Amino acid sequence: MKHVLLIAASCIMLCACQSTVNTVENKDKNMQRNSVDTSKISTDSFLKRRLKIERIDKVEQPDGLLKIQVTAQNLRYGFWDQIGTWFMGDNPYQITYRFSWLDKNGMEVKTATNTWIPMSVMPGDTVRIMGISPNPRCKDFLLAIRENIKERQ
Amino acid sequence: MRGIIITLALSAATLLISGCGTAAHRIDASSNNGLTTVDDINFKDWQIAAEKGITSLLSSGALNRKDGRKTILMISTIKNSTTQHINTRILTDKIRQAVLRSGKALTTTAVGGKGADDRASKQVRDLENDDMFNQSTVQQAGTAIAPDMSLAGEIVQQKTTSGRMRESYFFIHMTLTDLKTGLAMWEDNVEIVKQEKTPLMGW
Repeated sequence: MKHVLLIAASCIMLCACQSTVNTVENKDKNMQRNSVDTSKISTDSFLKRRLKIERIDKVEQPDGLLKIQVTAQNLRYGFWDQIGTWFMGDNPYQITYRFSWLDKNGMEVKTATNTWIPMSVMPGDTVRIMGISPNPRCKDFLLAIRENIKERQ
Repeated sequence: MRGIIITLALSAATLLISGCGTAAHRIDASSNNGLTTVDDINFKDWQIAAEKGITSLLSSGALNRKDGRKTILMISTIKNSTTQHINTRILTDKIRQAVLRSGKALTTTAVGGKGADDRASKQVRDLENDDMFNQSTVQQAGTAIAPDMSLAGEIVQQKTTSGRMRESYFFIHMTLTDLKTGLAMWEDNVEIVKQEKTPLMGW
């Protein structure tokens, strides 16, 4: 019984040490969004449970370039999840992403960089991943996200 | 007997030490598998800085002109204010390529912050009055197009040490200047911070 109490106390103490993000925002929104219907393929169940893709917005700029904003939230908050993140060492959660751009024929349009970009997401935090098409010929996109294991602490 | 033991121990130690090495191999340049060092800007840092800079520049619409003509962009200098010897060309070349691919601007190689990127534009005009060349094929003076805008920047590094922790903060600032007015039409920066904890002893 003594051991159980000790473990429980340790867990509570550990959770107290975790930092999650708390947010406040205006309730009545003025923005007009242009949402994109998504088609997702999740191959990493760990990532799927940690990062929720909330929405994808698209804007075509006056110069024809396509601007994409992907809104995602780190779902790893709460008692057990925080114990999990402490144990796995993924607080903040490290991800890396890359945009690919396709023309009207579905052919990939090469970009000057085409690299994976690292990003940290605190538990409970909402992040926005931005991408802009390399030229006006791009009509579709694909966003790849994966865990950035190398940057894990 | 003692000699045999020493020989065996030495052989085992040699095997162990040689087993620690890794053979040279290629890695995917777009991956995160490159070396990360605190004091230097690694290739991944350049890629991240270029990607973020390009996204910001193209989103801003600063390259668009009202008269419909394409902006002519020259690459000026990226000042190196770090203690490292770094070649900023990796960054400027990626931005130059992205700008060209976007179709929003053309870049000039005839003029640059450190002189012309390609001196041929100047050299071919020196062929005027050279008997060897058909003069009707020689590029005439007054035909090259001067740039409208200039891309410049600076890289600053700040190092911090606290106990065994070492940190480097790289601040990469980029500016797009309208050469007619001298006004900055776009500015942005990319920040890269790298940390390491040095081991108590050894390697």
